[in-house]
Amino acid sequence: MAELTSFSYRPGISLIHKIDARFKLLFIVIIGLSSLEASPSGVLLLFLFVVYGLARIGISLWQVARDLSFFIFFLAFVFAIRAFSAGGAVFINIFGMSLTYDGLIEGSLVCLRIVLMILLGLLFTSTTRTAEVKAAIDWILRPLPFISGGRVSTMTGLMMRFIPVILEQARETASAQKARSIENRKNPIYRMVKFSVPLIERIFYNAGRISMAMEARCYSDIRTGQKLSSKINDWISLLVIISICIISVLYL
Amino acid sequence: MNIIEIKELSHMFSNGTLALDNIDLSVKQGEFIVIAGPNGSGKTTLLRHLNGLLFPTGGIVLVDGVSVSEDPVRARRIVGMVFQDSDTQIIGETVCEDVAFGPENLCLDRKEIEQRISDVLRITGLTCLADAKPHLLSGGEKRRLAIAGVLAMKPEVLAFDEPFSNLDHPGTKQVLKQIIELHKRGRTIIITTHDLEKVIAHANRLIIMTDGKIARAGSPEQIISDTEMFGIKEPYFSRMGLGMISWLS
Ligand SMILES: Nc1ncnc2c1ncn2[C@@H]1O[C@H](COP(=O)(O)OP(=O)(O)O)[C@@H](O)[C@H]1O
Ligand SMILES: [Mg+2]
Repeated sequence: MAELTSFSYRPGISLIHKIDARFKLLFIVIIGLSSLEASPSGVLLLFLFVVYGLARIGISLWQVARDLSFFIFFLAFVFAIRAFSAGGAVFINIFGMSLTYDGLIEGSLVCLRIVLMILLGLLFTSTTRTAEVKAAIDWILRPLPFISGGRVSTMTGLMMRFIPVILEQARETASAQKARSIENRKNPIYRMVKFSVPLIERIFYNAGRISMAMEARCYSDIRTGQKLSSKINDWISLLVIISICIISVLYL
Repeated sequence: MNIIEIKELSHMFSNGTLALDNIDLSVKQGEFIVIAGPNGSGKTTLLRHLNGLLFPTGGIVLVDGVSVSEDPVRARRIVGMVFQDSDTQIIGETVCEDVAFGPENLCLDRKEIEQRISDVLRITGLTCLADAKPHLLSGGEKRRLAIAGVLAMKPEVLAFDEPFSNLDHPGTKQVLKQIIELHKRGRTIIITTHDLEKVIAHANRLIIMTDGKIARAGSPEQIISDTEMFGIKEPYFSRMGLGMISWLS
């Protein structure tokens, strides 16, 4: 496997790497909720803040944009629906549908929020080891009865292990088919079938081999976990983030 | 004392393939065994029975006196397995984390785990790569990482499935040195291969498999000249009548 997509852990020693995973999860919740309440300029502030974080840990936004290029269609679609469905002063008429100023702002805002959440997720996954995520989830679920924190965190760990495998597999299948000129086939259903059947087969094959390797090394729910400890830096970051969120919700 | 004892082992896959047919084999502590055979002869299937990744459909496998089917977890602690494909064996996001995976599963405490990580990284020469991402390592480094991950669990027996496949010359040399070093330290070694040249000079015993059966078993000197009969290339030094020559020399 070559370099995986942007959505994988990058070892480092930045401040963001060192923050306790529980705090990072809390930050995602706080920023996510604030972005729903904040005005457009508030969302922009949060957005810039997250972009700054990404720049700090050395993630190239250009690379991210390329990895997420498939996602642009989805965003364009969401944008169009919002832009054409809002009321207010008409900006331009296309095919009898009216695009309004309010719609434009509304559409951009929704897209900006979605991108903000994606970038937050990216920031989280690239700075947090799976082991820490598992430990954090285990900690959060511990007070809840009827739910085995150990089991759920194991599932999460497995999921994080397998997602890059699936993405990598998809990329390999796609390039192998391109190399044999699948693009000459115009029928999208034919292409979809020819792509997904071997992909799913391969994913199962590889997943089987990985779980066998894990079993060979005695994997189970009961194992030494990662120790989590909150330090003064975590609390300071919490204060900073709460202040930024308050500013973006109340003052912008 | 026999650390591994295989009696009348057969394995039939659910599609009806009889991959192992009545295998009898015992392995003494500290032995260095090479299992050779062409593709599809059942080498991988045999190894997977040693630590309970597959269970016999006939016969029994005993590891340190206990049936693997009854206590697979115990067998997995005693027999460490290095798979043919290192990519799927690597689980951690960094070299360090991957090595920690096994000891964490054994529920060792953090300090002991850290100690074992630094020990095996030194032994396998990966110390300077401790924080590297496994997917970016070279083929030889990946194989050594897979070995490190298994060593950290301190198994008595090490089973290597085609350890030299997909390795370049320096990679092969490093891995071979590693295996010989582990054998010197008293580990029992079992290697499967279809390429005898690289390792046979170091083995105590050679086993030739075809079609799920053991065709020949004995000291390498005695049976190495029979190998070509079973679709395995006889090493040049043996064909030339030069005796056994280590691939490292
Ligand atoms: N999961 C499986 N299901 C069915 N048949 C299998 C499976 N794995 C291996 N086999 C068959 O068992 C035989 C032995 O395979 P294997 O042990 O992988 O051989 P080797 O490692 O010597 O190349 C082959 O004929 C192979 O096709
Ligand atoms: Mg094999």
